[in-house]
Amino acid sequence: MLLHVLNRSPATSRVYQQALAAMSPDDCLLLVEDGVQGALPQQVRYFAELEGRLFALKEDLAARGMLGHCAGEVQVVDVDGFVLLTEEAERTVSWF
Amino acid sequence: MQARPDPHDLLVILRHGPHGSSWLKEGLDAALVAAAFGQRVALLFMGEGVTALVRDQQVGPLGQKGTAPTLEMLAMYDIETLLVDAPSLAQFGLSPEALMLEVTCVSSEALPALLAGQRQVLTF
Repeated sequence: MLLHVLNRSPATSRVYQQALAAMSPDDCLLLVEDGVQGALPQQVRYFAELEGRLFALKEDLAARGMLGHCAGEVQVVDVDGFVLLTEEAERTVSWF
Repeated sequence: MQARPDPHDLLVILRHGPHGSSWLKEGLDAALVAAAFGQRVALLFMGEGVTALVRDQQVGPLGQKGTAPTLEMLAMYDIETLLVDAPSLAQFGLSPEALMLEVTCVSSEALPALLAGQRQVLTF
């Protein structure tokens, strides 16, 4: 399993398409920085194919006032959870 | 039959075009440094990065050097695996024959396995 990390909003950048194109069926995607906008119910459709493998970073959501606004299918993890994910993954790949 | 292990130590993914930013140059620099230290490096051109391979590139309007000369040096550093994301190529209306270097196209089906099989991946 690879952990892909995306820091751009799907509303303004199509980099998320590159991340999705490069993901294997068991890879996970973590949304960080502006990427957490993708966790909003209005945006999460871009990541529909990832059911159960989509994460968003709590600290970045909180900083943007979006902590209570995440779509249900997004798993919110804090920095410790981020570390756990990187431990479980063979490698991480950044998309920016 | 087991798949052969990938012979490369590092895959550098280049996703930016020449001249507009320094991302492409920095990615190529990273690849050259790794190769100079004996790492076996493969490059993957993806998205806007495929435009780095267009023929007949020139210096920028202010004389900026661009990245084409660096690409021509890759063989000297034994960087010979040049991969191109096929959908990205199509997106820019380019064919492999129209590029300045010989490349291998990677289909969208093959892309996830390509990344999964690498020992290290750097994205630029």
